[in-house]
Amino acid sequence: MTVDKGNKLARAVMDNSLDDKLATDPKLDSGSQKRIGDQLRAMYDELMQQPVPDRFRELLDQLDKKNGTKEGSQ
Amino acid sequence: MTPDPEPELREALLAAVPSLRAFAISLSGQVDRADDLVQDTILRALSNLHRFERGTNLNAWLFTILRNLFHSEYRKRRREVEDPDGSYAGRLKVQPEQGSRLDFEDFRTALAKLPSDQREALLLVGASGFSYEEAASICGCAVGTIKSRVNRARFRLASLLNVDDIEDLGPDSMTRAALQG
Repeated sequence: MTVDKGNKLARAVMDNSLDDKLATDPKLDSGSQKRIGDQLRAMYDELMQQPVPDRFRELLDQLDKKNGTKEGSQ
Repeated sequence: MTPDPEPELREALLAAVPSLRAFAISLSGQVDRADDLVQDTILRALSNLHRFERGTNLNAWLFTILRNLFHSEYRKRRREVEDPDGSYAGRLKVQPEQGSRLDFEDFRTALAKLPSDQREALLLVGASGFSYEEAASICGCAVGTIKSRVNRARFRLASLLNVDDIEDLGPDSMTRAALQG
């Protein structure tokens, strides 16, 4: 089965439901848009779940010290 | 002087690191550079704390700083970032060592082929959870421009990934790969 992308894109172009009129921009059908979105978020979530490198904790610790312990917290 | 980085702010900054890193890594395509970018962002934020309006969106403010740093300090290395010959994509393939899974490889490669303004807009709206209005403010452009960039980014990704001819692009794409293999 060959995929008739032309039709799908044509349909996508007509599906212009955003408030702003973006006449020259093609639009994706919602199914494709969802799949792209899901994949993007999955990739991103994976990055988000990586442990925070120690350098950032250390950086903020150092800054705390440098700024003095005005707040009285140790 | 006002009492500097109060504990809550320190925690808030630390809490923002994962999303800043995810954005920076996806934007630049390099983990090391992304971490430098995030570090510079935190330092810049701390030295400009007086400009931050308490009660407004801290993340949006931090993303604005990061994005501006990326475009100013990192503009010199733009050729690498714009990826005329796939070097960004090549670097991203190294990422499985950082815990990435192979089934995102096609997606990363496609993402790397987008112009950086489109990639940036898509990442802000489609992944980082900002509204079109927030993304427009972060990028310093009109809301319509962001919408247009996001649309073009999605459209381009869909055609690069042939989204039309597959049922599922999600984590199950491994299954798909297995079936096709």
